[in-house]
Amino acid sequence: MTPSPAVLPAAFADLAPFTAWALPTETARNRRRLASDMGEIRAFAEAMLPRLDAIAAHLDGFDLDALPKPEADLFAMMLSVAEIAPAIESYDQPAVCDGYDSARFPAVESHRLRPAF
Amino acid sequence: MNQPVTGAQPARLHDRYPDLGRGPLPVAPYIDPAYWELEKAHVFKKTWLHVGRVEEIPTAGDYFVKDLAACDASIIVVRTRSGAVKAFHNVCSHRLNKVVYEPCGKVRKFFCKFHGWAYDLDGRLTGVPDEAAFEADFDKETHGLTPVSCDVWQGFVFINMDPAPALSLADFMAPMFGGLEGYPFHMFTACYGWSTVVNCNWKMVLDAFQETYHVGYVHGRSIADALEKTDTGSPHPIDGLCGDFHRRLSIAGNPKSVYGNPKAATTGASAAAEALAGSNRPIATAALRLAQGGTKLSFDEVRLPDGLNWTRHPNWAFDINCVFPEFYLSTRPNYFQAYNFRPISHDKTLFEARVYYPEMKTAGGRFYQEYMKVALRDVLLEDLSTLEHTQAAAATGAKDHMVLQDFEIMVRHGAVVVDRLIRAGLEADRARA
Ligand code: FES
Ligand SMILES: [Fe+2]
Repeated sequence: MTPSPAVLPAAFADLAPFTAWALPTETARNRRRLASDMGEIRAFAEAMLPRLDAIAAHLDGFDLDALPKPEADLFAMMLSVAEIAPAIESYDQPAVCDGYDSARFPAVESHRLRPAF
Repeated sequence: MNQPVTGAQPARLHDRYPDLGRGPLPVAPYIDPAYWELEKAHVFKKTWLHVGRVEEIPTAGDYFVKDLAACDASIIVVRTRSGAVKAFHNVCSHRLNKVVYEPCGKVRKFFCKFHGWAYDLDGRLTGVPDEAAFEADFDKETHGLTPVSCDVWQGFVFINMDPAPALSLADFMAPMFGGLEGYPFHMFTACYGWSTVVNCNWKMVLDAFQETYHVGYVHGRSIADALEKTDTGSPHPIDGLCGDFHRRLSIAGNPKSVYGNPKAATTGASAAAEALAGSNRPIATAALRLAQGGTKLSFDEVRLPDGLNWTRHPNWAFDINCVFPEFYLSTRPNYFQAYNFRPISHDKTLFEARVYYPEMKTAGGRFYQEYMKVALRDVLLEDLSTLEHTQAAAATGAKDHMVLQDFEIMVRHGAVVVDRLIRAGLEADRARA
């Protein structure tokens, strides 16, 4: 997905171990969630949670529709936190418990009204 | 029968709608291929069907195509130069090729890829290569694309296979949904969607979305705590309305939850604080905190129509509007969901789910939206989880009836209306014969 390894903005360099979560689409983020174990998911959440306010403040200094690559990767990591939320807050496992196969329920990434990010 | 009802109501919905009956519901319409053929002929080819929103085709030449198995049709919906929305069969007048292959796009004209016939956006045939080789009296005027009845309600595009529909779209919608007119559908322009073909009858799929009885079980781990519970521990709807075609349910939320407290996102900090008091959901907490002030539109400017939350319940969360036959529209103060359960056969349904949020201007707002959207998607994966098992079990023939409780009356209403239309259609066919 990410062509070159993500280099985060300097203030967020400490999050470098988690740049595998810098994935630009819902489909890619969901796939990574399902391929991870709860240890990886919790470690990512614990690293990100205390930094979310600072990340949001930093990103709001830019045009969200034209983020430089480091900021775009940081934003994608933030959205990955939303992707893993149900694993932590509802299911205590990566996938929906007894759920329908999410690969059979793909996101329509091409919809005209879908936000670019 | 289909006016919103006020004042003292019978405790049981079935007492209010005695015409719907009370007995167990026959299983055959959910598993019988012959019944499906009757549904196609007397329901789907005779009624208005939702196919998309006007925002998908904002300017002249924008089009999308809907393949509707229930109508044996592929339909082009296009924005014309005059700004109208029109629909045509996706069938070339020459030797019947599909005129467009792509699901959506933008064109100046439609060009058939087989022999190059050209049609303008109003469906008129304007170009025929080597036209002189056709008969001398060949007249382009009489070989346009075949039009399909098409109209728009509140920005939703509907088509009807009947060239002269018995009811106009306005008259079809007004009795049940007149009070929804003015809802800010057009302001919620950040759309996310998913789709799947589920091996289940379309009514069985829709039914899973028009009752709250399942919520404590299917959604026990996710959003069950977002609905208000009655003293039996079950989330009853506030009220339900059954009309000649359509039906509505009004649902109360738990203000102490992110999902069940719409005010948390629209009125700011105090509602958000209430929603999160005692929360053990740290990501939800962060999402609500970061969302404040994130929307591009100001909710102070949003006027919600009176037909929403028609009982004026203080903890109202959303209304479920089932537009006959298979369009589910859930309206909330701050976003809406539009689902179609498009039948493919008696035991196959294309489920197209769309959710429309306000656009976000901040990263925090977008994060909150992603949280809500992912939560919704996972809830839908829960809803979908039972369906193929249910269909397979129904098809065994072990049971020929199913049993409904009072708050499952919408399941009954849907089945009764379909059955009424099939009977009327068969009657009319006999009279004509
Ligand atoms: S079939 Fe379309 S031009 Fe011949
Ligand atoms: Fe559900």
